[in-house]
Amino acid sequence: MSFVVLRAVGLVTVQDLGRLGRMHEAVPPGGALVRDRLVAANRAVHNPDDAAAIEVLGQLVIRAEQALEVATDTSDARVLAAGDELTVTSEPRRVAYLAVRGGIAAPLVLGGRGALLSAGLGSMIRAGQTFAADALARAAPAARAPRRASKRTDDPASAPIRLLAGPDPDHFAPGALDLLVSSDYRILPSSNRVGTRLDGPALPRTSAPEVSRPMVIGAVEVPRDGKPIVLGPEHPTTGGYPVIAVVATADLGRLFSIRLGGTVRFTR
Amino acid sequence: MADWVALGDRAIRFARPARPGLSARTIVRAVRAWPGVVDVVVARHDVAAYFDGVPRATPQWHAWIDALATAPDDPTPVRDIALRAIYNGPDLAHVAEVTGRHPDEVCALHAAATYTVDTMGFAPGFAYLSGLSPALELPRRTTPRTRVPAGTIAIAGLQTAVYPFDSPGGWHLIGAVVGVQMFGPDGPLLQLGDRVRFVP
Repeated sequence: MSFVVLRAVGLVTVQDLGRLGRMHEAVPPGGALVRDRLVAANRAVHNPDDAAAIEVLGQLVIRAEQALEVATDTSDARVLAAGDELTVTSEPRRVAYLAVRGGIAAPLVLGGRGALLSAGLGSMIRAGQTFAADALARAAPAARAPRRASKRTDDPASAPIRLLAGPDPDHFAPGALDLLVSSDYRILPSSNRVGTRLDGPALPRTSAPEVSRPMVIGAVEVPRDGKPIVLGPEHPTTGGYPVIAVVATADLGRLFSIRLGGTVRFTR
Repeated sequence: MADWVALGDRAIRFARPARPGLSARTIVRAVRAWPGVVDVVVARHDVAAYFDGVPRATPQWHAWIDALATAPDDPTPVRDIALRAIYNGPDLAHVAEVTGRHPDEVCALHAAATYTVDTMGFAPGFAYLSGLSPALELPRRTTPRTRVPAGTIAIAGLQTAVYPFDSPGGWHLIGAVVGVQMFGPDGPLLQLGDRVRFVP
């Protein structure tokens, strides 16, 4: 029930559904960049939705050390025999998930098992590390037919990403939001779990003073250069840049699934 | 009536009530008791309430926000935290020069005050401590540093803070805490409402 990492490229971490209820301590929720995909991989191996899995922003190659039931967010459950290798690549999307039956064994810290690098919790996964399935694997009923990974509706290209206007309209010149929803923006390679950086027409700001205010995942912050940043799960709980709009919660997964270099289109 | 704005579809933001003595932790406690609220952020001038789903726009919010002005104080005793400090920061000489004081005097002023954790934000466990002597009030550095080491004591405006992690920072670095981790397996050392002293 364990595997060894042969290769990890990009940002590969253990993630679950995050740590809720700690933002008053400046601890962001963290958790999977695309929650629906983590849940899909977990369900395919009969795990609870919030079991810890491996988030791959790049590529991961593992080798099973013992027989292991695994699934990704785009493939059905299967059993790896000892010695079998498996490659998980996030392309053509930005992120992929590898779930193992029982969940990845990782300590529960502050109510979560996932890495929150900004808080020094967990670390980037490297080649040579070994992971085991959690104890709950042994408690799970055996010999169930593997589930099919459910059909996902979060195809990034399917429709524009919906925005809710505000909360800082006074900090922007008239027409800034219209520009945001009528232009193509490119997802910059400098994007990470803290923020998704966009390149496209600069959004004109007014000279209103910057004050540190509460933030939320999906907030579209606009620094002085006018290039928007969409806050991700490891966002600072407060931030000084004005927020022109916030991504609809239901569309966060589609936005964060778009590969780096890909194009996003917003709508109101 | 107090107004609010939507912060996306799962949160609202409103002005921090202005009642003198209304502590951040009292606000957190009161807002967390609202139906559906899972988290609260108290910033310097604003408060945000985060809901466990899409909240229905309720007219009661105005009344609830208004009621914060008379919310009973959090009865949990305020904690007193003493932090061992060594004043050896790279900006100490600069702070002394700009404020027209000897570096020892800067340290003495910083160590003489009792601070209160007024807001938390910026980075996990980062506590904004109010109560800095006006004699040490300075604007932030024009160019932020890309890396400030964990444990560094810094000042800006009328606030001081200790960086819990290595991070970028635009404050003036005057020293470091000794023998303590600002963020550990149990979470941040400092919490809203704590009274904090620095002991050289």
